Amino acid sequence: MNDPIRVLVAKPGLDGHDRGAKVVAQALRNAGMEVIYTGLRQTPEQIVETAVQEDVKVIGLSSLSGAHMQLFPAVVDILRQQGAGDIMVVGGGVIPEDDIPYLKGCGIAEVFTPGTSTKSIAEYIKKQFQSDGFTLSRIDHIGIAVPDLATSLDFYTRILGLNCTAIEEVADQQVKVAFVPLGDSELELLEPTSPDSPVAKFLAAKGPGMHHVAYRVTDLGLALSSLKAQGVRFLDEQPRTGAGGALIAFVHPKASGGVLTELCQRTTAEG
Amino acid sequence: MAKDEQLAANQAEWASKLADKVLPRSPERDTDFTTESGLEVERLYTPLDLASLDYQKDLGFPGDYPFTRGVQPTMYRGRFWTMRQYAGYADAEETNARFRYLLDQGQTGLSVAFDLPTQIGLDSDHQLSRGEVGRVGVAIDSLADMELLFKSIPLDKVSTSMTINAPAVVLLAMYIAVAEKQNVDVKKISGTIQNDILKEYVARGTYIFPPAPSMRLITDTFAYCAENLPDWNPISISGYHIREAGSNAVQEMAFTLADGIAYVEAALKVGLDVDVFAPRLSFFFNAHKNFFEEVAKYRALRRMWAKIMRERFGAKNPKSLMLRFHTQTGGSTLTAQQPDVNVVRVAFQALSAVLGGTQSLHTNSKDEALALPTEESARLALRTQQVIAYETGVTDTVDPLAGSYFVENLTSQLETRAWEYIDKIDQLGGAVAAIETGYMQREIQESAYKYQQDIENIERIVVGVNKFQIVEERHDGLLRVDPNIAEKQVARLQQVKSGRDNRAAASALVKLRSVAGTTENVMPYIIAAVRVYATLGEICGVLRDVYGEYKPTATI
Repeated sequence: MNDPIRVLVAKPGLDGHDRGAKVVAQALRNAGMEVIYTGLRQTPEQIVETAVQEDVKVIGLSSLSGAHMQLFPAVVDILRQQGAGDIMVVGGGVIPEDDIPYLKGCGIAEVFTPGTSTKSIAEYIKKQFQSDGFTLSRIDHIGIAVPDLATSLDFYTRILGLNCTAIEEVADQQVKVAFVPLGDSELELLEPTSPDSPVAKFLAAKGPGMHHVAYRVTDLGLALSSLKAQGVRFLDEQPRTGAGGALIAFVHPKASGGVLTELCQRTTAEG
Repeated sequence: MAKDEQLAANQAEWASKLADKVLPRSPERDTDFTTESGLEVERLYTPLDLASLDYQKDLGFPGDYPFTRGVQPTMYRGRFWTMRQYAGYADAEETNARFRYLLDQGQTGLSVAFDLPTQIGLDSDHQLSRGEVGRVGVAIDSLADMELLFKSIPLDKVSTSMTINAPAVVLLAMYIAVAEKQNVDVKKISGTIQNDILKEYVARGTYIFPPAPSMRLITDTFAYCAENLPDWNPISISGYHIREAGSNAVQEMAFTLADGIAYVEAALKVGLDVDVFAPRLSFFFNAHKNFFEEVAKYRALRRMWAKIMRERFGAKNPKSLMLRFHTQTGGSTLTAQQPDVNVVRVAFQALSAVLGGTQSLHTNSKDEALALPTEESARLALRTQQVIAYETGVTDTVDPLAGSYFVENLTSQLETRAWEYIDKIDQLGGAVAAIETGYMQREIQESAYKYQQDIENIERIVVGVNKFQIVEERHDGLLRVDPNIAEKQVARLQQVKSGRDNRAAASALVKLRSVAGTTENVMPYIIAAVRVYATLGEICGVLRDVYGEYKPTATI
């Protein structure tokens, strides 16, 4: 299905302890990844060069000599300088807990300390690359079913002090939508325009209240195919245009524990 | 005969009763019990398991061939092992303070840890030294650092072990020069340089030169020490790091002895007399977790080396036949989880080394899976040895586990399995060939991977890691190496370079270059160079030019 994840396992600096690096390399290989091992005594420059040449997605750095505070961030810096900042860097070795926040702040995605199982390292890496384009970046909006927009808007705008930026009618869903932005996401108040509207049926069955949650994705097509491959059912087999011009698709509520779930891709660059 | 037959019959009856009545009701914890090397462990051992053991031939008396029971006739009734804690970090000044502290606490020998640039023959200002100066040991660039390192420590009163391999010739030369400066008779200095390059290629990684010139530097030290330093061990043939890299006990034994054979062969090839250099060969092993297997390992090793030296190399001096060894508890057995538990692990491992007859011992500190040890944890590690020596009474008789049906059986089995490996390595053309083709590396890698899988599949329990875990607080009070140490060290290096007689240093390096490619012993030339403060990086730079550098092929 997907190409195997390519990983560079590297030993920066002069440290000769490569038992861990080799065991991790072998474990990642057995977990289906393509693994290249640099051998000992690599400078950060050499590691980046190999990573770019070999077109890897991940660099795993191992150091047990205490040089990690200088050498790990150096690898990230050089990657960025070379325009290869998208390569994920993880690290392991004898690394005191106190050093981890600094390393993460420098752009090391994760640090694996002694006693970490190779399985959990493989799982971590796989998770990051499970399905490109299908990272949920934020809650896009929360849909709230209301019988009467004017009454609800009074609560959200006058009493809670939020702003309504637009009201739009979505004809094919027979619904009128009021957009109320809040921080990174927004509330969508949904008033049915016909008794046949899905929102009208929802109100009849459950009464007013939370209707659905929408998560922002960067590539809805990929998200759909990836989730379908994992057996997730959808109400919308194909992406369609929703309120505000977004591309959306609804997950079948049976697949999401009864919570009506929407995936939403905005055409603007942000997100 | 009749007695054995009767015993065999009784044992068979006992076993069938067990199988019929006891085991169906209370089965054993497991179907197979094995040692860490995978040797099968039986439910019970009896005199029947020792039927083929010949006391005089296989065990003998302590101090006598084949030395199974120990290399000295009275062992610890005479003198305890040397308590030698590996220490070193930051710069020479800080390490000197730690040394003096450890000596004050009753430590009986020094063991120097060098930082990685020093171990790889690079000065602190070299580009590759970035981030590594003073991290895993002390930074030594020139004789000036070495003088500081041993300040107020008279070199005729203490024995010093130096974990240094590729540039061992240079550090030994510096040690000699310090002794001269202290007005100590050089013949009186005692200690060890590790100087074991073969295991660097296999397991530890601080090589510089290719095998052939490296072996030549080693035989130069053999010859020089035999003539000039009667109490110096010019090599410590090390299984420790082979075990740390993931080998099992049998591989540790076999690969170390195979390396030892290669060194002896190299020395014979350059015309040295076996009974002149062999008495000063020393060894270094790991004390790992499987208690009885470890005790048996040391006993089997002594017996094997005695046979190798007498039968294979025709050595006659009894001292040539003795396997004298240092032991360190297994660093890779320490856990970052619940680090206090490491104190217990270390105690058992140290006990196995003592019951196995070690000559010298380092006990690890509990915090070493997290950082370099603090002064407090290093003291506790030393106290652990002192408790074994002074409180447990295990030191009051020689080789107390001898005659145990189990231990003797295990000793013989380990020996058999290790010979099989040595035969295989001989077939491959010896240790150097077995290393160059990656044979040893692959064997070790396989064992290391299996070990880790066994832990992850809970087939091997590590207390606090895959069983009996707790939610832990963060670990405070770890040792921090001063991040400015590199700057300080580089400044001192510059000071040395500007303060020395540069012409004398350059001329000493030219002389070294002129002999490095010949068969003449390089030791006197290196001693001459360090005396005029030529730096480690400069000296190794000359040797790099002449010998080239080792380029390993990655094997995974």
